[in-house]
Amino acid sequence: MIELTNVFKTYHSGIESLYDINLHIGKEEFVFLVGSSGAGKTTLLKLVYREERPTAGKVVVDRVNVAELDGNQVPFLRRNIGVVFQDFKLLPRRTVFENVAFALRVTGAPRSTIRRKAMQALELVGMLRRVNSFPDELSGGEKQRVCIARAIVNNPPILLADEPTGNLDPATSWDILQLLDKINKRNTTVVVATHNKSIVDEMKKRVVVLENGRLIRDQQLGMYHV
Amino acid sequence: MFSSLEFFIVEAFRSIRRGGLMTSVAVVTITVSLTIFGTFLLLILNMGNIVGVVSSRLDLVAYSQKDLSLDEAAAIQVKLSKLPGVEKVDFTSKTEAWNRFKGDFGGKFALDEVIRENPLPHTFAVRVRTPDQLPDVARTVSNLPEIDEVRYSGQLIKQMQSLVGAVRFGGLSLVILLSLATLLIVVNTIRLTVLARETDIYIMKLVGATNSFVKWPFMIEGVIIGILGGLAAFLLLKFSYDSTVLRLSQALPFLPLVTDQFLLGLIYTATVIGGMCLGIIGGYISVSRALKNEA
Repeated sequence: MIELTNVFKTYHSGIESLYDINLHIGKEEFVFLVGSSGAGKTTLLKLVYREERPTAGKVVVDRVNVAELDGNQVPFLRRNIGVVFQDFKLLPRRTVFENVAFALRVTGAPRSTIRRKAMQALELVGMLRRVNSFPDELSGGEKQRVCIARAIVNNPPILLADEPTGNLDPATSWDILQLLDKINKRNTTVVVATHNKSIVDEMKKRVVVLENGRLIRDQQLGMYHV
Repeated sequence: MFSSLEFFIVEAFRSIRRGGLMTSVAVVTITVSLTIFGTFLLLILNMGNIVGVVSSRLDLVAYSQKDLSLDEAAAIQVKLSKLPGVEKVDFTSKTEAWNRFKGDFGGKFALDEVIRENPLPHTFAVRVRTPDQLPDVARTVSNLPEIDEVRYSGQLIKQMQSLVGAVRFGGLSLVILLSLATLLIVVNTIRLTVLARETDIYIMKLVGATNSFVKWPFMIEGVIIGILGGLAAFLLLKFSYDSTVLRLSQALPFLPLVTDQFLLGLIYTATVIGGMCLGIIGGYISVSRALKNEA
């Protein structure tokens, strides 16, 4: 599903963010991308949804090398990738429903489809009772659920989460990871970048460790530390 | 596509409503710029009109030899009116001229007793079609043996013509400069509303919106802002122009001001359409720049 081959990324400022990364993530896998801040986790995810291009190497998503993807094709790549952020990135003046429907609107979907799919996604994340609330009225965990609903409303085959529990307390973090696991079991490839040790250790999933831009460990049923 | 169009329009209005102050600033900016723009257009139009009217009133006056008979004079009138560039020729016979002169002064003097013989020549007032033909016509007329003397204000004509040229050239350059300045201001004002919505753009792009999809609401917003500004400028221009014309025509009734409603309507329409174009272009440039920053 996602394959990185000899990927290097150096930013214009000269900061070397990724160094010779080789990584294969199969269909419907659940992978933790761990490492301290600045290890290159966010950059790696950005290469996948083409917010950044690699300096060298291939990033193949669903058989397409997105490193060479034409700019006007990027929107169609992104409709197949849901992205979840630490800071949620919800639109503050729109309701929960509108925030989720927004992702479908931009694809030009008909109104009835938008409504049905948005409600399904909100039901999946357990936010049906808050559809008319505004983001400011929600707790952190609830905001993250809405963010996840928005990411999956298109039924993308891939879901990327960048520090999804960074702003949440341990119990809520655990709930969010359970939700991501549930989405993974509905045939979605899930990649979670995190430095939340306890969650990684508890979930017993594949763990890919980055350190200073280098991939130093890739382990099935792994732990945060060896 | 229909649901998308609806989405664009709803988004545009939503942004305008939410933009509040920013939207008002953009509308006022466009209004002010277009009002200045329209004022210049009206000034240029009126200056051109004044020059044109004044030049067209400039006739050439030809005086015949004194011994020319009436028949001969009539033949000359026909000849003159057939010259290229001549619009019409008014003839005043020497007797008519003498009677008119006596009528003007006769109350005071018994002119006939002082001057036994009519001293005046026949007079031809020649009107040309365009002022620039005047020198040529004057030369041809003065070369006729029957004509004693030709008078016209050649220097004034030349000055008038160079004034018309200067007004047209200066006006055109001014209009171009003003359009550019207005566009710059509008682009920057709309850019502020775009910057205020950077998160929206980021998220739209993130969830897979194409660039054109992101652009449309901003361009519609630009059109609406532009039309609002254009309409306000139109009302300002119309109201102030009408009241100016009213006052000036009372104070200076001889001044030939433009009151042709069709011509004025063209300028007002141009103002509103100009506002609309400024809005679209402004919206397009600013959102394109924002998208470039994003990618």
